Amino acid sequence: MIAFLLLPALLLLLVVFVGPLFRYAWLSFHADSVVTGLIAIPNGGANWLRLVQDQRFWQDLGQTLRFSGVSVGLELILALMIALLLDQRWRGRDVVRTLTLIPWALPTTVMALGWRWIFNTPYGPIDHFTRMIGIGSLNILGDPHFTWMATVWADVWKTTPFAALILLAGLQTIPVDLYEAVRLEGGNAMVCLRRITLPLLRPYILLALLFRLAQAFGVFDLIQVLTGGGPASSTESVALYAYWNALRFLDFGYSATIIMASFILISLICVVAWILLQIIIPTHSKSQAVVEP
Amino acid sequence: MIMNQIHFLRRILVSLIVILIASTCFGLVQARTTESVSFLMAAPFADATQDLVKQFNREHRGEIHLHVIKGPLETEAMSDLAISSLLLGKAPFDGLLMDVTWLPKYAAAGWMEPLEGYFKQNDVDSLATGAREGNSYNGHLYRWPLTADMGLLYYRTDLMEQPPETPEDLVEVSQSLQKKRKVNWGYVWQGRQYEGLSCVYLEMIDGFGGDWIQPDDNQIGLNLKPGVEAAAWLQGLIDQGVSPKAVTNYAESEALQSFKVGDSAFMRNWPYAWAELQKSDSAVKGNVGITTMVAEPGRSTATLGSWGLTVIKGSEHVDAAVEAIRFLTNDSAQKQLFLKSGYTPTQQSVFDDPELLQQSPILAEFGRALKVVKPRPETPLYAQVSDVLQRQLSSILTGEQTPRIGMDRATSNTNQILISAGDRP
Repeated sequence: MIAFLLLPALLLLLVVFVGPLFRYAWLSFHADSVVTGLIAIPNGGANWLRLVQDQRFWQDLGQTLRFSGVSVGLELILALMIALLLDQRWRGRDVVRTLTLIPWALPTTVMALGWRWIFNTPYGPIDHFTRMIGIGSLNILGDPHFTWMATVWADVWKTTPFAALILLAGLQTIPVDLYEAVRLEGGNAMVCLRRITLPLLRPYILLALLFRLAQAFGVFDLIQVLTGGGPASSTESVALYAYWNALRFLDFGYSATIIMASFILISLICVVAWILLQIIIPTHSKSQAVVEP
Repeated sequence: MIMNQIHFLRRILVSLIVILIASTCFGLVQARTTESVSFLMAAPFADATQDLVKQFNREHRGEIHLHVIKGPLETEAMSDLAISSLLLGKAPFDGLLMDVTWLPKYAAAGWMEPLEGYFKQNDVDSLATGAREGNSYNGHLYRWPLTADMGLLYYRTDLMEQPPETPEDLVEVSQSLQKKRKVNWGYVWQGRQYEGLSCVYLEMIDGFGGDWIQPDDNQIGLNLKPGVEAAAWLQGLIDQGVSPKAVTNYAESEALQSFKVGDSAFMRNWPYAWAELQKSDSAVKGNVGITTMVAEPGRSTATLGSWGLTVIKGSEHVDAAVEAIRFLTNDSAQKQLFLKSGYTPTQQSVFDDPELLQQSPILAEFGRALKVVKPRPETPLYAQVSDVLQRQLSSILTGEQTPRIGMDRATSNTNQILISAGDRP
């Protein structure tokens, strides 16, 4: 009976997830582009061979990993701090809780367009500020050494509230008596955080991490609007490259190959991230050790 | 009382049904005689042609009804939408307003109806010379131009008597104005890694006497002397401080901003910027002149933009669609579009209209620029070819590589693309 009730969900998954995945896997072994008249012709592993030799793909992959790693790392740290703050009782907390969601609620393209003018040299406020304090013009969006940091910054600004929301939900499931017990044993706030909060929050951290990693790895709209992948291709992401191959170059075979490769990679990354998290934060059962006086 | 009400309601119901049936029948009769045609256009064009479409529908009442589907604002988003619907097979529109660079790709994909059976030689002859370019592929006419678009050099008439003509002159004038602190920057242009950069470069490589892809032997000209010179000149503008370093992320709007507030002496932009610079928030209103891009004597070139209407293959209303295209591109429509929205005309007769010239003397400058237009390489693989050029140019402009190395790479990458697509022996 339960299996029967799950059927609609299962069908939906098949249609929107499994179906396209198989289609892409199939397409990645075919030449299907404007050159073949948009007809799929089997070409063995030629697409995959091209991918392995494609310097641009590996450069984009490196850039995407750098972007995802740095921005998700920063987001989780900031989100934990925000969630801890919003979990405390203080006047005006509810108003602030609502306000923190605003960046996340804004459409990415709108906010990316905003950042493009904020980072603009010389008319943006950031350039104005750096010149005022004597650093001079930084040319943030025009210098390949800075631009990727600007994309990370814009992403952190936008998606930290999302991670904070998940962590806040987790914090609220932790019973207050646990903290009181630690206090009674003479433990301070640091002990509370290390022994109670972090271990009990782990499933929520994992959830936020996986959500954000998958999202950051597929970053597209932010980059497309903010930099278009430039300057000197220093911010191009794998998703942007796949999109260009499909819709600009009409090379669907190769685009499918890029998408399959990044699907495999992101699955691997999520598994690794999960294992790493197990090591960094010990489970609750192991952390029941005596609180030191 | 209640019975009365029910009776009353029933009567209303019956009359409603009668009206419904009658109007359906009428509608069916109407539908049989009126041919419905739909065009997909980017939002700004859909807005600009609104009045014309109303006019067309008034004049063709009972015969053709033209419906314009309003697409997204940006060119790239527009292309994505059109391609997505065309890939699905039967597109939900009969005509598409198309940018000049899409044409070979769409034609190779077999998405467009050839129009040479409808537009004859005398029609083509009525177009301004520059507007005749970029409408055909492989000997078939696929597109009829709605508005022309070309790269222009904007300059400040309050800072100089005559605009510079050669690349060296532009640098010299800029530097002397910067030295006198009249402007912060000499020249602003589109240096961001995107299609605009290819357009800027095309004007320079031609200006130095070269070709992106040589017309006679189809060889890549990027790493020949003029190609390297063009890249080095653009990079030099940044090095010498004539252009701001930030120009490496400038698109049209950023360049316009710099010029509009009076920070720059020169700007490269499209005709739309003219109307923007005449608005009341423009600090340079009344002090702006237009000319063609600097170049070695006699080599001045303007990159061809231009939008035109096409008919989608498989449309059941080709005749009606052509009728609508003729209406939207005739002389009076073009005059209306020019006066209301600043769209550059494509019909020669509009450029020669003395009344219009008196009303808007700038039209003469647009007409002069349209005479020296140059289309970008006409290949279905243009998007790839332009993409590798943009990548290498952006690396050159940001100082990551020298012009020589960058243009060598751009050449070998372009050859690779063309060879692997079977476009080269």
